Amino acid sequence: MNTFMQNFPILAIMSLFLGAFITSLVARHSQKAGNFISALSVTLALGFILALFKPVMLDGQIITYWLGGWEPVAGWAIGICLEVDALSLFFGLIVTVAVFVSCLYSFTYMNHDDALPNYYTLFLMLSGSVLGLVLSGDLFNVFVMIEIMTFTAVALTAFRTSYEGALEGAFKYLAVGSLGSTGVLVGIALLYSQLHTLNLAQIAALMPVTQGSSVVLAIAFGFLFIGFGTKAFLFPFHPLAADAHAVAPASISLMISGVLTKCGVYGIIRLTYILFQNANRPVVSYLVTGFGAVSMFVCVTMAFNQHNFKRLLAFHSISQVGYVITVVGLSSALGLGAGLYHAMNHTIFKGLLFLTAGAVQHQTGSLDLDRLGGLSKRMPKTTALFLIGAASISGLPPFNGFASKWMIYQATFNAGLLHHNLFYLAVCVCALLTSVLTLASFIKVTQSVFFGQLPKEYEQVEEVPLAMRLPMWILAVLCVVTGLFPSLVQTYLLTPAVSAIANIPAYVDAAMGAGYAADRSVPGGVIASLPVTNTWTPTAWLALLFSVTCAVAIVAILGSPKDRQHEYISQMGEEESAKYDSFFSGEQAVYSQVGGSDLFWGFKHNWRKYFAVMHNWHSGIVNDYTLYGVAAIAFVLLVCVTTL
Amino acid sequence: MNILLYNLFYLLVFPGLLFCILMGVLLSGLDRILVARMQRRVGPPLLQNWYDFLKCMGKETIIPRHARRTVYLFAPVVGFGALITISLFLPVLNGKAAFSGNSDLVVILYLLTLVSVCGMVGASASGSPFAGVGLSREMVAMISYELPFVLVMLSVSLKTVALNPMGAPLTFSLTEIWNYQAAHGPLICHWSLIPAALAMLFVIPCEVGMHPFDVAEAETEICEGMLAEYSGKPLAVYKLTHMVKMYVMCALFYVLFLGGLSTGMAAVDVVIFVLVCALLTFLTMSLPHAVCARFKVEQVFQFYWTWVAALALVSLVLVFFGL
Repeated sequence: MNTFMQNFPILAIMSLFLGAFITSLVARHSQKAGNFISALSVTLALGFILALFKPVMLDGQIITYWLGGWEPVAGWAIGICLEVDALSLFFGLIVTVAVFVSCLYSFTYMNHDDALPNYYTLFLMLSGSVLGLVLSGDLFNVFVMIEIMTFTAVALTAFRTSYEGALEGAFKYLAVGSLGSTGVLVGIALLYSQLHTLNLAQIAALMPVTQGSSVVLAIAFGFLFIGFGTKAFLFPFHPLAADAHAVAPASISLMISGVLTKCGVYGIIRLTYILFQNANRPVVSYLVTGFGAVSMFVCVTMAFNQHNFKRLLAFHSISQVGYVITVVGLSSALGLGAGLYHAMNHTIFKGLLFLTAGAVQHQTGSLDLDRLGGLSKRMPKTTALFLIGAASISGLPPFNGFASKWMIYQATFNAGLLHHNLFYLAVCVCALLTSVLTLASFIKVTQSVFFGQLPKEYEQVEEVPLAMRLPMWILAVLCVVTGLFPSLVQTYLLTPAVSAIANIPAYVDAAMGAGYAADRSVPGGVIASLPVTNTWTPTAWLALLFSVTCAVAIVAILGSPKDRQHEYISQMGEEESAKYDSFFSGEQAVYSQVGGSDLFWGFKHNWRKYFAVMHNWHSGIVNDYTLYGVAAIAFVLLVCVTTL
Repeated sequence: MNILLYNLFYLLVFPGLLFCILMGVLLSGLDRILVARMQRRVGPPLLQNWYDFLKCMGKETIIPRHARRTVYLFAPVVGFGALITISLFLPVLNGKAAFSGNSDLVVILYLLTLVSVCGMVGASASGSPFAGVGLSREMVAMISYELPFVLVMLSVSLKTVALNPMGAPLTFSLTEIWNYQAAHGPLICHWSLIPAALAMLFVIPCEVGMHPFDVAEAETEICEGMLAEYSGKPLAVYKLTHMVKMYVMCALFYVLFLGGLSTGMAAVDVVIFVLVCALLTFLTMSLPHAVCARFKVEQVFQFYWTWVAALALVSLVLVFFGL
């Protein structure tokens, strides 16, 4: 193995952590120098991770790095290890790209704030901890990184302390999030008491898979599952995400929704497929898929009732992570491929949407869906970017959301067929419905923020500067590229990652030395190592759609008179042009925009009982949320103890 | 070169642009005549909608000041393009779609969604509050018919899928559905799928936005809703989209439930196909139009999520248990 290459994982993590410390020293004297250090360290991290792409993704190597050279002795791994297989690298890529974009956006977005040295220090620590989590080959370091991640995320959530609810949101996150961290810690302790090791590879090798596991291991699994579930803000924990996102700076919202939740997803995949290798048991499958499906559906309906742009996005964030968790629970190669694909796409399009929300907030100072309106006149470029993001998350072809949702439907339907199971079919229906509800709430945002009437107070709003648009364009281009070429994504990203999950002995041997897995007869893997087939190939008919559109566009648009709109305004002046105004003649004085939250009345009216229950449920009281968390832990433990 | 010419033919003549427009104009004209006869009127000539379309094309296009120009003008065109694209994936003749391979139900479902979304975004970009109300109603109507539509989709796929545990089966493939029907007779003859076929018949008028379910365009209440601000060429494109959508939904029903029939002579098949479309237009669009008054928004939602969804669900459960 290439020893030089082996240093890259630790260098990537170190460049972020070192960057954090150096930034805090330098930025007190010069913010420019601080910004430079931050940019340098995120670029270095991205570079190191990209350099690992060829050996890990293309050549299928697994790169291990033992801190201080403490390699395993006599089959026992004591030292700290970084182990990068294709699954880790897949998430590492998501993390570093998101961090890079978020950092780039912060430079201009945060320029009105003070205490910027603290911001960048915390930001880089958050990034470093997340990267450390996905690259770690050691369960205790996973916990350490989760702790750093949670605390820096809490601090960054409350970074703008002047915002109403900032401290409240951060406190909720801290209090309920610590339930999850505790869950992980207890799980690790129980696991250590049984297997006497903390190395992921060794745990996977020693896990008694075939001869029914003990009760203690079942409890450990339950705690770890709910711990990682908390980090992904799954169902009973979802109100935290909403409160945190609504007040956090947009660049941090991108991190929380695009990166932190992915750590939860990564943890659950690692846990069920590699550590416990129980993803193919019906109980675990129902548990994971059930939690995912409930999160997916409840959160999308909650998004209907939101008045705050970023709270709405926050609920959608959990809803989309719900999609990912749902298919991860199916324990099929297709399901895993769909889940990973959607996880990646979610980071891209939700990042884009959060950044456009940030742009709106930066220029208007408001996120209130009932007060904003007509911004497309003043911010046309941001509007275009938002529409790309909204089309992607709603799964409209040809954007990336469609490609991954297509695989999700295929995967759930296939699971229903193969297991002859009505539950998976119901999940498939639920996924299809969630998609149309997602679309509905993005139509609502489009209508109430970007189109419609421009309120007087926002008539002087200006477009965001290029420095903020550039990161958004990066994500928008990624949205289109990953949607148009799903076969490339499949070949170079999904298939290696899924094969890595399907090949546990290779993962064990890479850390513990060749032959270790064979000696302990480690089973091959939960799923068969099939290539992820059955992706959607859009290019053929995309050309069609394009040509049809062009043909009709030529007929319909080029024939129309040039620039009527401006002509009339200039001819008649502001007052007399009512004839060519929108349908306002009598009521022009009255601001008659339909408030965002009043759209879709027909739907909400029929579901008023459900929404009343949901309204009571989301009381906003941290005690209640903690109670739900405890109840969820109790439920999962009960299920694990009785059935595993 | 040859392939290019063939593709252009598919795209522009059959089953693409020209055929779609022809069928759309004929079916919508037929619908107007049928409704008129049921109301004891004479009704307009068969091609009246085509004349209306031509008239709109010749009119001036006015863009309101609150409108976002680009989106306002391009939304109808993109929607129409998406609709024509659907027609290329429907294997209406001998089970061969013009561009098969990816022709599956999910793609068609989403392309239909795209058509509606283009309408909504265009309406939204026009800046009118009436359009705002219209698009909100359109969205609710869409949520309403989506559930039964999805259930119908799943029951048909479940019935026809070729189970192959090793490779992932082509689950929602339209070609697969056609082949199954060619081998086992049209799906409407399988009693377990009759409820689903009924549900699909109900989905058609709501998807098209025909009278009892045209909450989004209610002229008398909200000034044509989404179209309130539109005039001239974009309006003409919207009208055309509406007509073609009638044809596409009839063709989709034909493919899902009456496919697999072939006499061996292409011309006869086309005639049968056109007749079936006309019959479907009468059943699903003209008849309810003449008989029912317009529903309220919440009634549409209630109707589709209870009765129609229940019909489709019955089929899904029956098919699931192998009936």
